[in-house]
Amino acid sequence: MRQLLVMTASDLRQHVRDKSVIIFAVLVPLALMYVFNLTFGSMDSLELEPIDVAVSAPADDDLAASVVDTLAGLDALQVNLTQTDEDEARQLVRDGEVALAVVVPEGFTETITSGREAVVDVVEGETAGIEAQVVETVVQTVLDRVNAGTRAATAGVLTSAGPVDPAAVAQEAVRLAPAFTTTEGEASAEQLSFSASLVAGQAGLFLLFTVGFGVLGLLTEREQGTLARLRSMPMTPGLIVAAKALTAYTLGVVATGVLLTIGSLFFDVGFGSLPAVAVLVLSVVAAGVSLVFVVARIARTAEQAQIAQSILAMVLGMSAGAFFPIVAGGLLGTILDLNPIAAFMRGLGITSGGGGLADIGAPVAVMLGFAVLATLASRLVPDRGAAA
Amino acid sequence: MRTALAITAVELRRFLKDRSNIFFVFVFPLLLVLFIGAQFGGASGGRVAVSGVDGDLRAALVTALEADDVTITVVSEDEARELVARGRADVGVVVPDEAAAAYAAGGDVAVPLVVGSGAQSQATAQRVQSALDALALDQGQVAALTSAGLTPESARQALAAADTVVQPARMEITNVSEIAQEFAGLGQFDYGAASQVLLFVFLISLAGSTTLIQSRRLGATRRMLAAPVTTGQAVVGQALGRLAIAATQGAYIMAASSLLFGVDWGNLALAFLVVVVFGLVAAGAAMVLGSLVDNDAAAGGVGVGVGLVLGALGGAMYPIELFPDTLRTVAHATPHAWAAEALAEVQRHGGGLVDILPELGVLLGFAAVLLLIGAWTLRRSLARAI
Repeated sequence: MRQLLVMTASDLRQHVRDKSVIIFAVLVPLALMYVFNLTFGSMDSLELEPIDVAVSAPADDDLAASVVDTLAGLDALQVNLTQTDEDEARQLVRDGEVALAVVVPEGFTETITSGREAVVDVVEGETAGIEAQVVETVVQTVLDRVNAGTRAATAGVLTSAGPVDPAAVAQEAVRLAPAFTTTEGEASAEQLSFSASLVAGQAGLFLLFTVGFGVLGLLTEREQGTLARLRSMPMTPGLIVAAKALTAYTLGVVATGVLLTIGSLFFDVGFGSLPAVAVLVLSVVAAGVSLVFVVARIARTAEQAQIAQSILAMVLGMSAGAFFPIVAGGLLGTILDLNPIAAFMRGLGITSGGGGLADIGAPVAVMLGFAVLATLASRLVPDRGAAA
Repeated sequence: MRTALAITAVELRRFLKDRSNIFFVFVFPLLLVLFIGAQFGGASGGRVAVSGVDGDLRAALVTALEADDVTITVVSEDEARELVARGRADVGVVVPDEAAAAYAAGGDVAVPLVVGSGAQSQATAQRVQSALDALALDQGQVAALTSAGLTPESARQALAAADTVVQPARMEITNVSEIAQEFAGLGQFDYGAASQVLLFVFLISLAGSTTLIQSRRLGATRRMLAAPVTTGQAVVGQALGRLAIAATQGAYIMAASSLLFGVDWGNLALAFLVVVVFGLVAAGAAMVLGSLVDNDAAAGGVGVGVGLVLGALGGAMYPIELFPDTLRTVAHATPHAWAAEALAEVQRHGGGLVDILPELGVLLGFAAVLLLIGAWTLRRSLARAI
């Protein structure tokens, strides 16, 4: 036991002195959390700039006027309208004076009421951006209302059940349309906020790199010859591997703990019950360490192992949503659920929503099951490095 | 010059022969292009979990959404919330009793939505709103006809008949430039491919700094200098070597994404020019990193960190156009943002050489500064014992 602890302590000391562990385990993930929070986090706070629009609409045309009036009266977006004729409007947008030109054709109302197709030309200029898309959506909404009126009016005329005033029906169709709105539903307590999922995801992803440092030291030592010397010592050979496992485990738990703590402080997120989170961390590190052992058995050299480890870390981390949240369903979703990092994030979601030790059974089962399977695999797979 | 080029050739050969590069250089970038295209390109309409009371409103909503290419699963309310929380659905819809009753009575309806944090979730939520708007207008039409004296059934029949006769008014969107018009529909993978080219050229170049450190540490550089090779030639050879690697990486990603995902690069020569100039910047950064740091594992870590952080800031993971103003200004401190703008100009607006000269100028400025610093630090490191 003492030998195990001595070997572990010396390994840990060596890793801490070696700055690469601190960089990969703590600094890089924190930097990425910060930057991703800045960039992706801005998804919610989209600022709309005022937009210059040139509109050409025939005079004395009611429906055309409704298009213009709606654009002028928008709350969410400031539209600087220039009303002019068609050629001038097209010229303005070509010259870049306005971002968007909306051309309502002559005889708009007449074309529509006679059931023929009326086309509103929208020309995007060089500077057309998101605000232009908003304007286009608004124009489409106006057209949808106009079409609803026309459709109802035509239906009224076509119907065999007696005379109907088309204009009145058209107006009523729009006036009587109820308001169908969406409201903000109550999200599951389990849903990690965007910042929280970033912190959890990055912690999970870089965990796999961190434990890699611990276990893959085994391969480096074999290449350097120190492993053979250790094996000649008067102690059980299994202790050497156990020491590496313990080193990796300790590094993983400490690094993940640090990342979750600092992350939750910086980004103002809470992960919930400490004992439950601790169990989740212990489980995911176990899964990570066992995975690295499989890599260590299959790889022939330390460098190969490093590459394979990095690949696995990136694939597992990204598919769990470490860089951006992933939405997938069906078979792909089921496969993703077996990813230990994804299980870790799901567990954190449960605890952040107030769940305790009793509620995290499923994700813990996935992570520990992964750990058991991977450990079995690392025992059964032939050791390609030993033959080399 | 021939000596310098010989050194360049060695560096390039080393890079191509190293089997450990196969995944990260050749496979991973394409995986990311595929990944980003699938998440942000949004070929399908998203996934919605619909729950709530079974009735006309729910059925009508499901029909409308399915017509809009949305994948629907009908589940219980708790399951819907859970699916969104776990990322198995973009949006969860709960149809409450009051809403279903209001729909039947022709009144206002409020439907709670739970929106996930996936890339497409907001867009999918918009589709739900559009579907609801269409249903509302439909109700209005029926209400107008019934108030004019028809029964609801004959109203619907009449509306169906109207559909065959009336051609709805529509909007036609065009773009100012004809070429831009062709490119207006940004291909699903185009944005991903452009941003990944830049990200990976930079990352792989920085990772290449480790080979520079290894050469220094193993004494290969010193032996090279013992041969009739001046320090200047060694430095130029190294710089050109980094550039050759960056250009190869860039050319590979452009070709592969074009062949496998049908990515359109616009004027291929111009796009490649942008990538090569960006590669110069990356080469300079790699030289600085490879000369200042003595431990190749630490350099690997720093390289990945700096590469990912600069990439994210510069718009490699999320479009710069959607950054808030202050962040957009900060983003322009990275070479990635400028290169991305130049590529967007070529790819999406059919720009010519004149259009991208400002961006190229800035990139050359970055490159000049980094290469000068890199050359100076490399010369000094050659005299330093490791």
